[in-house]
Amino acid sequence: MLGQLIVSGLAVGACYSLLALAMVIIYKTSDVLNFAQGEMAMISTYVAFTLMESYHVPFQWAVIFTFLFAILLGAFFELVFLRQAKDPTVLGLIIITLGFEMILMGFAGWKWGPDQRSLAFPVSNIETYNFFGLVMSKINFWTIVISLVLMFILFLFFRYTKVGIAMRATQQNQLAARVMGIRTKWILSFTWAISSMVGAVAGMLIAALGVLDPPMMMDPLMKSFASAVLGGMTSLPGTAVGGAMLGIIENLFGGYVSLSFKSVVAFAIIVLMLCIKPSGLLAKHYVKKV
Amino acid sequence: MVKRNLGLICLLTLAAFLMTAPVSAQQVRGVTDTEILIGQTGPQTGPAAAWGAVARGSGLFFKGINDEGGIHGRKIKYFLRDDGYQPAKTKAIGTEFVEQIGIFGVVGCVGVGPGMSVRDYYTENKVLMVSFGCSGVTNWIQPFNRYIFPVYQLYVDEAKALTRYFYENMKLTKVAVFYQNDDYGKQGLEGVERYEKEKGLKVVAAVSAEVTDRDLSSHALKLKNSGAEAVVLWAMPTHGALLLAECAKIGYKPQWGTSSTLSDGPLMMQITKGLWAGMINSFPIEPPDSNNPLMVKYRAWHQKYEPNERWGTFYYSGCLYAEPLAEGLRRAGRNLTPETFIKAMETIRDWRGAIGAPITFTPTDHQGTRDTRFAQVQPDGSMKILTDWIRITK
Repeated sequence: MLGQLIVSGLAVGACYSLLALAMVIIYKTSDVLNFAQGEMAMISTYVAFTLMESYHVPFQWAVIFTFLFAILLGAFFELVFLRQAKDPTVLGLIIITLGFEMILMGFAGWKWGPDQRSLAFPVSNIETYNFFGLVMSKINFWTIVISLVLMFILFLFFRYTKVGIAMRATQQNQLAARVMGIRTKWILSFTWAISSMVGAVAGMLIAALGVLDPPMMMDPLMKSFASAVLGGMTSLPGTAVGGAMLGIIENLFGGYVSLSFKSVVAFAIIVLMLCIKPSGLLAKHYVKKV
Repeated sequence: MVKRNLGLICLLTLAAFLMTAPVSAQQVRGVTDTEILIGQTGPQTGPAAAWGAVARGSGLFFKGINDEGGIHGRKIKYFLRDDGYQPAKTKAIGTEFVEQIGIFGVVGCVGVGPGMSVRDYYTENKVLMVSFGCSGVTNWIQPFNRYIFPVYQLYVDEAKALTRYFYENMKLTKVAVFYQNDDYGKQGLEGVERYEKEKGLKVVAAVSAEVTDRDLSSHALKLKNSGAEAVVLWAMPTHGALLLAECAKIGYKPQWGTSSTLSDGPLMMQITKGLWAGMINSFPIEPPDSNNPLMVKYRAWHQKYEPNERWGTFYYSGCLYAEPLAEGLRRAGRNLTPETFIKAMETIRDWRGAIGAPITFTPTDHQGTRDTRFAQVQPDGSMKILTDWIRITK
């Protein structure tokens, strides 16, 4: 039972990691916690669903179009909502993301209705791989692989590409970055677009693992937030470590202590980490100089 | 002379006012010469929005009734409000219903929590509550409340009867329960426990989940490790789908059974990718493609007024929950007051609409239905009726 609980925890942790990754990308660039991340992912997943169900678009093309949509959605949000904010504080921007979250939730309910749907996915959620007697569904396995690959690509992107470095510079000091010739506004739009796309990947995998409905990302979003806090809000590897740890801790707690309080573990972790090590396990403590 | 005439006019005006005043005082809230005002709250947004189809289904029913000329010359004016399944919102809407709109009664109003938030307020204001809560908890009949007319089978009795079916018809003695951690889920658990206790047995595992939980892997493992041959599932559709998938992953295939709240076979088959086949559930209403003349009529209304709505169990049960209200209004006649309506409702004995199970209300007992039947989900999503009507509530 212990081994299976850990394997299942790793699998669910990979989903938390993916969504946490999307949150961290934005946080790294703008210090903003995006509470609309889950609903942006949900809307993108509905787009994939509609393309496949209503227009019979093959899966791979549906994914490509969904990524394009997600990129446009992220950039649209940044351009139309966040950029228009007058003398925005970080708190003000976070509140705007909350408002956008509610708009998207209402829109999804109006457009697609409240019924649960099943997202067609080429990898089975029921067929399993067997590792020394421990089972993991194929989709769980590929979720772990995808989250690790995405994390690695983003790590390289932030570390070695000009745009990636510009994004980090924008986060550290927007004015200095602008003085150095970085088009910070463009960078911000780009960040939101990339984050939205990563969120769309998470959304499609989470829907394929369970069901597709408007509130499907509420629980994963809170858990991914806890993962990001655990691993470190500015650390990409931290999201993977945080997600995996949270998934395993939750499962072990549910398996051996209490299932009734399993869902509370994530919130207890947020509180504990913020008290003990606010920067998270893998991020350096960063103090903004004024 | 002028002064005397003026005094006379004043006196006559006052007399006329005093004569008309009692008439307006007698006017019944929510009832006019041409209309009866009926309200319903239901989640149109949020996590429980799938159940909001019930309220829209009742809207369809009233459209059809109005098109047929209404009841005793009065049309139903229907007010649907979205409470998002949040009791605080339901309470605010309840105040609006009574103090601003002035409704005669409510029908349906999905949800135990939302319903409990307004039950006493509606009672104080003599608001009739028909098919209230759309749920089989005992909160609507205990303590006895003459303004509430629930029609849903009691969950406790439904779960007990399901366990008996497993035990007596399928010889499955090791039964586990997966339940939602609220009144709805707990009353399912209680029903199973009652039967097991009668037989001197014990529930082999009782596993609960919060409404928002989306990872049920450890729940599935616990059920598997319990060695249960059958699992009674008292949860919402999303949890049903997630749990069956997790159990399939780890190779656990018990006989599943569930409540009538998860009786939308086509929907469940679709979201579980076929895993729902074989599920046994209480099925106290007519199937969606029933040839029952009332169901045929409701489907025609559906095509005429709301063809874009999915003809699912939740949606058409909105019609069925409104049926007893219409029957009560018919029996009450043109002189409609809360008292005449209650008296009329209490004459209903073994009455059948398309709701399926016979309905009875008496002056001392308002639990409308006492029977159910069991059905099994077929691979195409249709329901195979397994039993005749069974009396589950004494």
